Amino acid sequence: MADVINVSVNLEAFSQAISAIQALRSSVSRVFDCLKDGMRNKETLEGREKAFIAHFQDNLHSVNRDLNELERLSNLVGKPSENHPLHNSGLLSLDPVQDKTPLYSQLLQAYKWSNKYHAGLASGLLNQQSLKRSANQMGVSAKRRPKAQPTTLVLPPQYVDDVISRIDRMFPEMSIHLSRPNGTSAMLLVTLGKVLKVIVVMRSLFIDRTIVKGYNENVYTEDGKLDIWSKSNYQVFQKVTDHATTALLHYQLPQMPDVVVRSFMTWLRSYIKLFQAPCQRCGKFLQDGLPPTWRDFRTLEAFHDTCRQ
Amino acid sequence: MYVMHNSEYPLSCFALFENGPCLIADTNFDVLMVKLKGFFQSAKASKIETRGTRYQYCDFLVKVGTVTMGPSARGISVEVEYGPCVVASDCWSLLLEFLQSFLGSHTPGAPAVFGNRHDAVYGPADTMVQYMELFNKIRKQQQVPVAGIR
Repeated sequence: MADVINVSVNLEAFSQAISAIQALRSSVSRVFDCLKDGMRNKETLEGREKAFIAHFQDNLHSVNRDLNELERLSNLVGKPSENHPLHNSGLLSLDPVQDKTPLYSQLLQAYKWSNKYHAGLASGLLNQQSLKRSANQMGVSAKRRPKAQPTTLVLPPQYVDDVISRIDRMFPEMSIHLSRPNGTSAMLLVTLGKVLKVIVVMRSLFIDRTIVKGYNENVYTEDGKLDIWSKSNYQVFQKVTDHATTALLHYQLPQMPDVVVRSFMTWLRSYIKLFQAPCQRCGKFLQDGLPPTWRDFRTLEAFHDTCRQ
Repeated sequence: MYVMHNSEYPLSCFALFENGPCLIADTNFDVLMVKLKGFFQSAKASKIETRGTRYQYCDFLVKVGTVTMGPSARGISVEVEYGPCVVASDCWSLLLEFLQSFLGSHTPGAPAVFGNRHDAVYGPADTMVQYMELFNKIRKQQQVPVAGIR
């Protein structure tokens, strides 16, 4: 009830304010007209000047009057009610053409739907596959966390070098070259026989990214630095790059990252027979123009990407 | 000695001997040979060339062309190249499967180039050697056009 009365008072002041605006506009245009017309023709120069100044002053006074009137009315009109429970999205509900642009009702429906699914099913599904590979626990409060917790994210570079050189000596057909062009994170160039080259970017002993390129492709940029961004020109190796990224996410052991690196390198080594091994499932070499690019994580058998279980 | 050009390597010129070394040189090599005309006798054999279209399927490069000697067409040549693999003997089975998919019964045996060195990296010179062998085979066959495939 009070809302309705409030609205009607506002409306009257509103219409008065609009007419006051019109009056103000006309008085301002009169001022400019007077200036444009200049002095009227009178007998003496003084008379002309006096008449002009008097006319000008009259116009300015009327502008002043109209402006004050407008200010008074605008204070009466008041602001729209501030206790908007819907805030900004509620302004969408003020749309008069509801059937053509039913934005607000659709917004409400989408919100209800997402609330329902997030609270129920999605949170369970999304939290199942935790891809946190380091040993730091973020959820534990500061009080419960033991003070001297060893973290595997900060390891001395010498240790990383030792681990890598040990793995290098493990496999004869695989050679690993370590460099640190950008700070402390190691970059490995792994050459597997005459089949492929892999660039592995690491963060202490965790593998961050891999790029697989052909044996004859250029892995260095024009400056001579290791090119860690450009993809291979061949579709086979682009596919193997995707598989390698899957592998580095699959082999996870937060407390023992050197075992992880070793298993990753063992998996990678199975690609030495990339072009010679037929698919274990369909028996053929080519599927859509690609050889079997998938290597099973446990058995290291070759499968086509579309043939894998 | 044969002097050959390949449109895949437009800035190079190949000079090869049968069962002998292959020289990869700049395109100015032709001009050099013209200047050296007084020192050797050029054979009267006319130029053989193969012209055609180039197709790309996944990582395979297929070039199908008509072999012409002078004004007459002598045969068809099909070249299949698998880019990612650099060691020839590794991917022969893969290539064979691919060839069989569209050549059927005409699939050839493994080229002689593969048998010699097992782990050597394949290069453009090997391609030219295969072309040279093919052209020689076609030259020897007189009038009947045959399909020469590598």
